[in-house]
Amino acid sequence: MSGHGNNERVFARLTKSERIQHVILFTSTTLLIITGFMLMGEDWVVRMLGPTGKSIFYWRGIVHRIAAVAVSVVCFYHLFYVLFKTTGKSWIRDMLPRLKDGVDAYQNVMYMMGLRKERPKLDRFTYLEKLEYFSVYFGMFIVISTGTMMWTQSYWPKFYLDVADALHVGEATLAALAIIVGHIFAVHYNPHVYPMNRAFIDGNISETLMKEEHSLWYERLIAEEVSKPANTPEGGHGNA
Amino acid sequence: MQQSREYKPAIGQRRREGVWRYLLGIAIATAMSTMMSPAFASSPGFAATPDDLAASPGLLNQEEDAAPVVKAQAEVAKGQDGCFLCHKYSGLGRYEKDAKNRIVKRIFYVNEDMHRASYHGRLNCSDCHEGVDKIPHTDAKKVDCGKTCHLTDPSTGKRFSHKDIVKDLEKSAHGAKGSASGEEQSDLPACRDCHTNKPYLLGVQQQMKSKAFTEICHQCHEESAWIQRFLSHINYRLSMRRPSSEVVRLCSKCHANPDMMARHKLDVVVGFLDTFHGKAIQFGDEEVANCLNCHAPYALGFSPHRITSRKKDNSPVNAANKRETCAQANCHAAATQEFATGSKAHPSLVKSTLLVKEGDSGGTATTKLVQVDEALQAKILHWIRLFYQILIAAVVLGLGGHRLLDLYAMYRDTKRGGH
Repeated sequence: MSGHGNNERVFARLTKSERIQHVILFTSTTLLIITGFMLMGEDWVVRMLGPTGKSIFYWRGIVHRIAAVAVSVVCFYHLFYVLFKTTGKSWIRDMLPRLKDGVDAYQNVMYMMGLRKERPKLDRFTYLEKLEYFSVYFGMFIVISTGTMMWTQSYWPKFYLDVADALHVGEATLAALAIIVGHIFAVHYNPHVYPMNRAFIDGNISETLMKEEHSLWYERLIAEEVSKPANTPEGGHGNA
Repeated sequence: MQQSREYKPAIGQRRREGVWRYLLGIAIATAMSTMMSPAFASSPGFAATPDDLAASPGLLNQEEDAAPVVKAQAEVAKGQDGCFLCHKYSGLGRYEKDAKNRIVKRIFYVNEDMHRASYHGRLNCSDCHEGVDKIPHTDAKKVDCGKTCHLTDPSTGKRFSHKDIVKDLEKSAHGAKGSASGEEQSDLPACRDCHTNKPYLLGVQQQMKSKAFTEICHQCHEESAWIQRFLSHINYRLSMRRPSSEVVRLCSKCHANPDMMARHKLDVVVGFLDTFHGKAIQFGDEEVANCLNCHAPYALGFSPHRITSRKKDNSPVNAANKRETCAQANCHAAATQEFATGSKAHPSLVKSTLLVKEGDSGGTATTKLVQVDEALQAKILHWIRLFYQILIAAVVLGLGGHRLLDLYAMYRDTKRGGH
């Protein structure tokens, strides 16, 4: 929160529905990662559990399945949300990749390496955010489909299950590591927002952070505000 | 000399495990060395010769005149064999060379209490160790588990013997007659490679010694030693024989040994502990399949002593029978033929192309042969894993590098006083 005053103007970043989706997504993903990687543990770690290991193993499976259902429901709801809800449609419109993202990525890397004077002006969703967002689509497609196969294992040939298992484990490892080096950094360790970006709680983004990370979006919102001052559809709501 | 091969794994096992396993290892080793150690056949104070005992009713006989015999035998059981005169000393042992010229440690110490608490605690040394008349015991014969014992089977009154099991084992994949490998017969397991004459569950036995527990037995039966033994036997037979983790370790002793498997042209089992069954067993779950639940399922009438090659028609892991094996005891009740066949339940080091017999959905065998290219399957799985390894490396290095670069840029900006 360095330099972000308490009386600073804020803009709406996430709607209530989006925040609820996010909470369900990250709690169940955390549970899925913990209960899933318990199967990858070294045997000496597992043996340390002793006689309690059996019930831990039992609950591991139950929790993994409950979290899997929760994450699947939220994923399918999100598809419905971006296809049919007004806020969802605006979300996916801004999220779709375009040529500018490639240019942004190139220019940003050049700036970070000191080969360019200015950072590129980024819109509502930056190229990294878009990459993360669509990685979740890809990842969820893999883990939900292979997970369903393994849950209904009796109906599949053994080799398909082996393939499903390899994909499930690979995708889960990729997702877990990508969340740590990608998302956790962006919203927690990033010096702009440390210790955390509060947008997932209150849905707001400060003016300072807007200027730093989404300057193009900021300029667009201000321009819209100037042209029609009252009832801006997605603009800020005055001083907090 | 021959016993040393059986003895070695017990030492190796002790090293790997913790204190509890160490103590159990000592108990097992002691019990085993009891069986191995040569004994005096005739010694002062020996109450009855084996023949006398054989002619008389056994411990479990319900005839009226059984009581004196029981008492006589109980006295024998108190160690009048004379072997413990020497074998009670814990230092008794020596180093010697085995058949393969390796130096092995032989321990001849026998803990008498431990032996008496074991399954064979009613037997005296000489009942199994025959022809031990000289000191040193140069005339000792190898213990034969298939010999006719002097104890009687209470259901028939006949003399008791393990010889049917020994015969079954000989015909099985592990036996001299049933094994496909003619050479290297010395690799084949003997009784004592799997059975170690363990003590009965000590906690339960302690409970049984309490008067209240056995009071109801005493209303009809007099001899408390007999009652305890009977209860221990029933309790042992009703409870689980071995935890799954022990079964896996036991089979792996040979089947995960690449040299031994190469000698017998068998696949080395390497991947079982990475399967879901293997993971669950590591957590202590006894509900999932261990080696024996598929290769010799009791629920389907198979026995570990009659285990056969998967290529034989009557094997529970033959492709024609696999579906039924997976569906046993509601494990995978809805298992289809496709689920059960087409790939192995656990991967092996050697990837070969197999010809398997396919059954129809009803489980009856058809003659249709399906070629399962294990090598191709292994390659496909390898490619998937490789794809993810590369992708993970690229994503982590790419994202991580980008974030580090970003940190550097922010630091640079702060120093310049930019933001």
